[in-house]
Amino acid sequence: MIEVKDLCKRYDGRTVLDGIDATFQTGEVVALVGPSGGGKSTLLRCLNGLEPFDGGSIRIGNDVLEPGRVRAGGGRVCELRRRVGFVFQQWHLFAHRTALGNVIEAPIHVRGLGVKDATELGRALLDKVGLSHREGAYPFELSGGEQQRVAIARALAMEPEALLLDEPTSALDPERVGSLVSLLARLRDDGLTLVAVTHEMRFARELASRVLVLHGGRILEEGPPDQVLDQPRHERTRAFLGLGQVSPPSRVVPSLGLGRTGVAPVFPAASAGE
Amino acid sequence: MWLPLVVVMLSCVAEQRGSGAERVRRTGVLTWGADAQGGEPYAMEDPDAPGGMRGFEVELAEALARELGVRSRFYQNDWSNLIPSLERGSFDIALNGIEVTPARSGRVLFTRPYYLFHLRLMARANDATVTGMESLRGRRVGTLANSQAWDQLQGAGVQAVPYEGVEEPYIDLEQGRLDAVLMDDIIAQRYGMPRAALRVVGDVGEGYYAIALRPGDESLREELDAALGRIARSGELRAIFQRWGIDNPTEQRMVEWTDAQTRELLSTTRAPRLGWGQLWLFLQASVVTLLVSVGAMVLAVPLGMALSLSRLYGPAWLGRLATLYVELFRGTPVLLQLYVLYYGLAGILRLDAVSAAILGLGLNYAAYEAEVYRAGVLSVPRGQFEAALALGMNTRLALRRVVMPQAFRVALPGMTNDFIALLKDSSLVSVISVVELTKRMTITAVDVRSWLLPGALCAALYLAMSYPLSRLARRLEARLERG
Repeated sequence: MIEVKDLCKRYDGRTVLDGIDATFQTGEVVALVGPSGGGKSTLLRCLNGLEPFDGGSIRIGNDVLEPGRVRAGGGRVCELRRRVGFVFQQWHLFAHRTALGNVIEAPIHVRGLGVKDATELGRALLDKVGLSHREGAYPFELSGGEQQRVAIARALAMEPEALLLDEPTSALDPERVGSLVSLLARLRDDGLTLVAVTHEMRFARELASRVLVLHGGRILEEGPPDQVLDQPRHERTRAFLGLGQVSPPSRVVPSLGLGRTGVAPVFPAASAGE
Repeated sequence: MWLPLVVVMLSCVAEQRGSGAERVRRTGVLTWGADAQGGEPYAMEDPDAPGGMRGFEVELAEALARELGVRSRFYQNDWSNLIPSLERGSFDIALNGIEVTPARSGRVLFTRPYYLFHLRLMARANDATVTGMESLRGRRVGTLANSQAWDQLQGAGVQAVPYEGVEEPYIDLEQGRLDAVLMDDIIAQRYGMPRAALRVVGDVGEGYYAIALRPGDESLREELDAALGRIARSGELRAIFQRWGIDNPTEQRMVEWTDAQTRELLSTTRAPRLGWGQLWLFLQASVVTLLVSVGAMVLAVPLGMALSLSRLYGPAWLGRLATLYVELFRGTPVLLQLYVLYYGLAGILRLDAVSAAILGLGLNYAAYEAEVYRAGVLSVPRGQFEAALALGMNTRLALRRVVMPQAFRVALPGMTNDFIALLKDSSLVSVISVVELTKRMTITAVDVRSWLLPGALCAALYLAMSYPLSRLARRLEARLERG
């Protein structure tokens, strides 16, 4: 469980986060949506200690992050980061390592696993994301979708309790969005907490159990996707979602084919390698 | 680029045209080459009249010009290259404590000698083991490269250490880096004997200073011989010596000197050739060059890495300190740094010459390496570092496992470049008496009166060291490219 209390962050005199209170339950999938500059990515980076903040606290299990105790490479934050994986928007795969090398790097050097055990684990994870046939490939030889899957496998190799994803769909074509959704659905069903910043409403609708709308560094509203996305209470949310002023949710949003509890992916590319 | 060179060569040819005496009389100027760095009492810049010169040889040149009915004009030239410069026509005569040696006699014309000197051996006052040349077998004795003392040491079974200046050997003797110094008495008297920690062991030989001319200028030599005879007999010569405090009773031999004596003095000539023994010395010098370069690089790499990481990731004060280091060592000549390290700090830091060379070049190159690594680290996207942190790595681990390997790939060509530059820059350490490849080449070239063959041999040896290194670096780059 991740508990955020009164989180504040200023940057260059500008308030980026303005008293965020939020709780992310174990096994929950939360979508962070909102206009650009609303603080979504900053909040996500704070949750992993990548971004120092100025006020409030973040509790992850028994560990608490507070201002001044977050240092980029400090010992305590490192401990915490092992339990919270992060998948970057641009993935940031280690350019000098193969797909498998990327996945086993941290298990060997951070968790202290033997090379043999780590390799076994790495192969299993690449298999899980459907890339076992690409383990020897370098990042520059992989497509965007493949790099993202390696990045997910790399994060999973630390056996985290939660996975943070920054705009996971932004670099994918619609077909690949489908296969990503089905992969994340499987992880969710394994009990992993997922928090994703997204602009893709269909993604939020298909996968999330809860949607948080961030605007101006505050949480504008939150709730289940059908409620927040179809019947937003706040005028600003309506504008952001492109809904009319007076609006019954009459727009038909095409389904990605996954129900809230759906398991079976119907995307052609879902399990085939990309 | 070639044009100015051709012009210079043509002008030299033009200058050489006509026999010596006729040329001097036509131009009305007797040009003489000397090294003002040689210092007191030979020829040096006049502190009271900037641009002017003073010294006993300045007065001698003026007296000779007067006798010839012309003016004298001084040309500055590195002492060890006075003869080659004379040969290529830079000036009419070389007049700067040039000793008459069999090797030089076979190469240039000499006038009758104008000064009789003694080779004076000095040692530390508290070192009673030095009693004469025999006691110095296998020990370190310093002197000027390519001087008569240098020749004498070559045959004496001692370890001869060559110097460019007259002050440095005595500093090294005081510091215990040398066991003795053998120099002309004039030099010993000015630079060695005032040092309380040193003592005179004795005079172990004598020799003559004479004026050197180009072969073909026999007519000028005759006139100079006659002029010297007149000056000596009139008492003017010894008056000059007295003014400069270098006169002694034996100088009367200069006054009574005869042409027969000149012929006898110049009759023994020797034309040294480049032989297998020289090749062996060149190979030894290459080992010194390699040792100094590798040693300096081994020092520069970790220090440079520490400096670059301090600038990029260290606390602000450490970063500023590292920046200051880089600017200081990069912004001042390495020659100066070597001098300060070896001679300037001699009282505090007791280093032998090779250690000082390695330390000096290593400290200097660390500044360059720091910037090469910094460029390498900056070329690695910030995201790589963040991705490593996000996996729970601490800063050190992230740098070691993720950033540095990628930075190294970018830095490698720059490092190779620097190492090859270092290989050649290592020739600078000859100023602190280390005989490396370039110094060896210079000594041999002056000795055998040819720069061509020693130069080619020297170049070949440098290439033999640097080329395999570039090949190795390229293969390493290719391997890194694959992963």
